[in-house]
Amino acid sequence: MIMVKISPKNIAEAVYLATEGKSGAHLEEVLKRSVKILADRRMLGKGDEMLQALQKIIDKKEGIVRLKITTAGNMSASERKKLEEEIKEQYKAEKVISEYFEKEELLGGMRVEVEDELLDTTYRNRLENLEKFLIQAR
Amino acid sequence: MSNHIVENLRKEIEAFKIEEKTEKVGAVLEVFDGIAKVSGLSDVKSSEMVTFAGGQLGVALNLEEDTVGVIILGDFSRIKEGDVVKSTGRILEVGVGETLIGRVVNASGAPIDGKGAIKTSKAYPIERVASGVVTRQSVSEPVATGIKVIDSIIPVGRGQRELIIGDRQTGKTAIAIDAILNQRGQNMICVYVSIGQKDSKLRKIEARLEAGGAMAYTVIVSAGASEPAPMSYIAPYTGVSIAEYFMDQGKDVLIIYDDLSKHAVAYREISLLLRRPPGREAYPGDVFYLHSRLLERACRKNKEYGGGSITAFPIIETQAGDISAYIPTNVISITDGQIFLETDLFYKGIRPAVNVGSSVSRVGGNAQIKAMKKVAGPLKLEMAQYRELEAFAQFGSDLDDATKKALERGKRSVELLKQLQYSPVKVENQIVALYALVKGFMDDIEVAKIKDFEAGLVAYAERNAKTFYKEIVTEKMWTDKGEAELVKVIGDYKMSFEK
Repeated sequence: MIMVKISPKNIAEAVYLATEGKSGAHLEEVLKRSVKILADRRMLGKGDEMLQALQKIIDKKEGIVRLKITTAGNMSASERKKLEEEIKEQYKAEKVISEYFEKEELLGGMRVEVEDELLDTTYRNRLENLEKFLIQAR
Repeated sequence: MSNHIVENLRKEIEAFKIEEKTEKVGAVLEVFDGIAKVSGLSDVKSSEMVTFAGGQLGVALNLEEDTVGVIILGDFSRIKEGDVVKSTGRILEVGVGETLIGRVVNASGAPIDGKGAIKTSKAYPIERVASGVVTRQSVSEPVATGIKVIDSIIPVGRGQRELIIGDRQTGKTAIAIDAILNQRGQNMICVYVSIGQKDSKLRKIEARLEAGGAMAYTVIVSAGASEPAPMSYIAPYTGVSIAEYFMDQGKDVLIIYDDLSKHAVAYREISLLLRRPPGREAYPGDVFYLHSRLLERACRKNKEYGGGSITAFPIIETQAGDISAYIPTNVISITDGQIFLETDLFYKGIRPAVNVGSSVSRVGGNAQIKAMKKVAGPLKLEMAQYRELEAFAQFGSDLDDATKKALERGKRSVELLKQLQYSPVKVENQIVALYALVKGFMDDIEVAKIKDFEAGLVAYAERNAKTFYKEIVTEKMWTDKGEAELVKVIGDYKMSFEK
């Protein structure tokens, strides 16, 4: 018998398919069984990874884009809205979920993270690039 | 003065252009022993360079479903979980150029000799596919190592891969260093790659090369024993990329990998940490490819492609003379011959401790100059006979004259082929000494006096057999006139020596 290693991602996909379109007692039953499988296979420790994978699957199916923005100062509500609209258009998303952070050390500009893509226009990053450029020019 | 500096700085800053573009990033999940598991980096290529938040470089080796296994080149102790990792879109490369000559660099090409920054003109990827068939030419020109036993019996040609193999403390590095020292004025660039060696040994080697004037044409690439395994893993590829730059300029290059056993061990460590399946002796399945792709980059290019060459001297350290272990057999099968060094011979005082019977050069014979071929032919035969008779003579007491003669000649050959470290001998002088041996001029000289006889003869012949020397240098072979002169010179010297 070939033992295939099951990854948290595989389980997340299975859970998603099993719960799709279900609600109430049905949904509860499916979730209970999913947790039982995790316990039987001694994979409860991988619960977090599985939940993250499930979140990614749901986001993808529902067209949700998660955004992380870090700036030196506070952004106004209108600026935030404009940025979210642009991201929504660029990633052709149904919905944008944003998280905003403030870090004074960035000096200015902003750092936008979408999944594994990063756009860094902060002054700190520009200064670091200038430093590298000047060292290379030597 | 200060105005000038400010003005220069202003110009430099004006030349700086800001390029805002999205980058692919990941986050460190775990770090251990020079390896990092990174999430994200969805479009990263195999062997692509990545940069960590602290400026350390890494190379993506394992591309898995959700994570990337990265080897860290440099200090991994400052990398934390959650640190941002950026992909660069570039395959790992090293700066190359003439400015590297005389310098000691680490595996990523950064100077470690305290002589300041190195400004290189080009960057070469460290992993490159070896030159193709159409660009190559067969080995036809010799590499003079200055070591009599090698130049005569196991000759090496430019573009050849000749393995130096033996137990610890048998003089493997000594042969390589002697070969570098002898390249002075031979139109050869040397690259010495030190893998997992003690820093004290490297310092000694550098000082020796400096003293011998060899740093004027040598680059040292070092991945020390205290550096993490990824540095040892990439060091030989860095070395050969530097060598390829010089080869592309039409130059001949001699590269020494000291040693590939430690390189294989470093790769085994990385592979096991990356959870690649272990095979024989716990080495991963691609350990043969690890060395074959490296050594295949040594070649001799034909005229249309610049005519440069890379000659490789990989070194392998065996355990208790076991050449049938995994890595030695692999490298023996990849290379074009091997110089086999033995502990027994070393302690018998036969140094270099080359076992002539087990050593072989598969292509070097074609590169040997005609004069050397002429004297080396009989020498090889006599040495083979001597080895057989030596074992046989231990049992029999009554030996016929021919056997006794062969034994005596053999003893003298062994004595003549002994050579002190750091004292390479010019090819012309080697030919004179070997000529005197194979033509029987040394048969009646006491074995203990052979070395004195050789030293005196060479010095005397250099002064008095000018035609012979000229013929060897220009025509690579003697004429009847030159030979007659040499025979007379040897005769004259012998008379004075016996007195």
